[in-house]
Amino acid sequence: MSDRPLSGVRVLDFGLLTAGANTSAMLADLGADVLKIESGAYLDPFRVVGKPDNDAGWWNRSPQFRFTNRNKRGLALNLKDPKGQRVIRELAAHCDVVVENFRRGVLDRAGLGYKELNVVNPRLVFAAISSQGDSGPERMNVSFGSTLDATSGIASLTGYDGEEPRISGMDVNYPDQIVSLFAAGVVITAVMEARRSRKGCFLDVSQREVASFTLGEEIVAAASGPKHIARRRGNAGEGIAQQDTYLCGDDRWIAVTAESKRDDLAAFCAERTAAKAAAELLAQGIAAAPCNDGNDLLHDKSLAGVTLVRDDRGQLVKGLPYRLDGDDAIIERAAPDLGQHTEEVLRDLLGYDEAKLEELAKAGVTCATPNAGEI
Amino acid sequence: MSAADTLPLQRFTVIEVNDRDVPQCLRLATSLAGKIAADLGADVLKIEPPGGDAVRQAPPLLPHGGSALFQFLNTSKRSLVLDLTSATGRTAMDKLLGTADAVLFEEPASIAAKARAGKAVPIEVAAFPVEMDAAAQPVSEFTILATSGLLHMVGEPERKPLRLGGHQASYAAGLTAFTGLAAALAARDAGRHAPGVRVSLAEVMQWVNWKAVSGAEASGVSPGREGTRSEFQIVPCRDGHVAVVYTVTQWPAVRALIGDARLDEMKFATRAGRRQNVGALYEVIRPWFADKTRRKIQALAQAKGVPFGPVFSPAELVEAEQYLARGFFADVAHPTLGTLRLPQLPVQWNGRSFAPRPAPELRA
Repeated sequence: MSDRPLSGVRVLDFGLLTAGANTSAMLADLGADVLKIESGAYLDPFRVVGKPDNDAGWWNRSPQFRFTNRNKRGLALNLKDPKGQRVIRELAAHCDVVVENFRRGVLDRAGLGYKELNVVNPRLVFAAISSQGDSGPERMNVSFGSTLDATSGIASLTGYDGEEPRISGMDVNYPDQIVSLFAAGVVITAVMEARRSRKGCFLDVSQREVASFTLGEEIVAAASGPKHIARRRGNAGEGIAQQDTYLCGDDRWIAVTAESKRDDLAAFCAERTAAKAAAELLAQGIAAAPCNDGNDLLHDKSLAGVTLVRDDRGQLVKGLPYRLDGDDAIIERAAPDLGQHTEEVLRDLLGYDEAKLEELAKAGVTCATPNAGEI
Repeated sequence: MSAADTLPLQRFTVIEVNDRDVPQCLRLATSLAGKIAADLGADVLKIEPPGGDAVRQAPPLLPHGGSALFQFLNTSKRSLVLDLTSATGRTAMDKLLGTADAVLFEEPASIAAKARAGKAVPIEVAAFPVEMDAAAQPVSEFTILATSGLLHMVGEPERKPLRLGGHQASYAAGLTAFTGLAAALAARDAGRHAPGVRVSLAEVMQWVNWKAVSGAEASGVSPGREGTRSEFQIVPCRDGHVAVVYTVTQWPAVRALIGDARLDEMKFATRAGRRQNVGALYEVIRPWFADKTRRKIQALAQAKGVPFGPVFSPAELVEAEQYLARGFFADVAHPTLGTLRLPQLPVQWNGRSFAPRPAPELRA
């Protein structure tokens, strides 16, 4: 597999939850060797929020973590310990990319920010993904998932006709999901540029800006004059004759977009099952689809396309958002257990011997179990 | 960047084909991918049918004519009108496909078969996965949100499912197509085989909605819209609305912020307890918001490390302090439409933004 788009690219991945961890996952899926760094004192929060029980090894059983971190190797290194920081700097010399979405300043305080790592490796592409970006008065603001639905403008355009705004909510956290789709492409662009110029760069990606960017035309229109007032219109779309969801006879909803007015749609749908109503409308040339839920997506293989795949343990994980050369996602390894590849990587990449590995383990720099309470 | 006049993708040529009779939701995705590449310096040539891309007339419209949607999606590109139904048009197209690095097009386009077989790497935008064999099926962004399960996630459980604002399905697919394009160019640049890329809106939005699937698989029950049953809701305040959002570990800070002794009751101590008593919870916290402005609420909440989110409209974002301080907007002089304020690409590269050039005029 040495001829994949990112074969030979190595990523030092401090990415957490979705925005950061998924950016690295997309790079891994294109052939990059991704080294996910956690520590016993600070696990990827997905290991905690998704844990199914409190039995031994709970930190290795979260579906959310498993979905997002497949195709990576995992290391556990204490970033607060100077010895752990030294290991990271040595690793950075062997990497092409850093991805991180800590709160601003966390890596700087550990001596692992762009300034320090750029000295170790001037060709490093350093992608800092944060909620507000790396500058500006709100740089240090905390946000979580749907905070950004609100502050980006998406919530202001989401809601029932004339009612209060709506967020996508904790089971979607929409702004978190789209960041990696953009950030991965920017990182790849920067890797190309680093190869050519032999110089790395600092990429500052604001999640809030990514979300506002998806309302680009609304911002252009709003800036051009007060006449354009964006408002919540339920499911209606500007310039579309009729668009809404309708309840069908089998208690399922369908979504319909009609190019010309259809006053009979509510009655039409109520008299049919969702599947039948959608099929008949499609046959009339009208866009229509039943509103699927998670179980529908789970069970319809042709609908899932390349988006779901099983890892080498047979467990369901995230696939790809696109198809490359007609192929499915290639899952070469399941998401790592905490610290699963620490020794392997330090031995193979940095040439550490057994004595050195043992010393790090004894000092608590490396570990394979959490050594702090709940996050 | 080392010099202000070099751009990272400037050595690449990309063709974006806007054919006739392609669903607008696909067109918007293709155009966004092309726009990002163009703002990053690629020479993006937009092929339009006689009369132009239909998006030139699409809302929202600008006060002095022209489409804000078109102006946003087509910055930094060049435009060439080709009649792909004519022999000369097709010959010109063949020539371009032989010289460009990549070609962006939509699955139902008349040139699709040709684009897949040319020397330029094909980046194709479709509505549905290959497996569904549904290329000819009528489609809209809204029905894609239904198919991919996202409609199921927003709104009140007893009321109709709701769409997210904006062109989310098309734009998420556009971002994805850009990343696919970057991967293909990187492979080509390294002298490797560049994979053809196929992006479908339905797959992208299912991928975005993965928590619905992982949740359904873990418990047998699909997550769905919770509305006022959710622990996270939007509440009114003096000058608008605020999203109440916090992590499990931030609950003590939320309690300290609101400062109402009733929040110390045992029934609110755990996430499960708060969810069970969510009506009572909001009865307690709602009044705290009523007499405060969004600005005040944000300041008080941030001081305690609580991530409440004030709701801003696009018109307010144009004036947002954080965005102005970061230079998120570029004021671009358009030859006929005046000055347009455009959001720039949401990345700063060594502190530099990528100022867009105005979208091309239509030349017959």
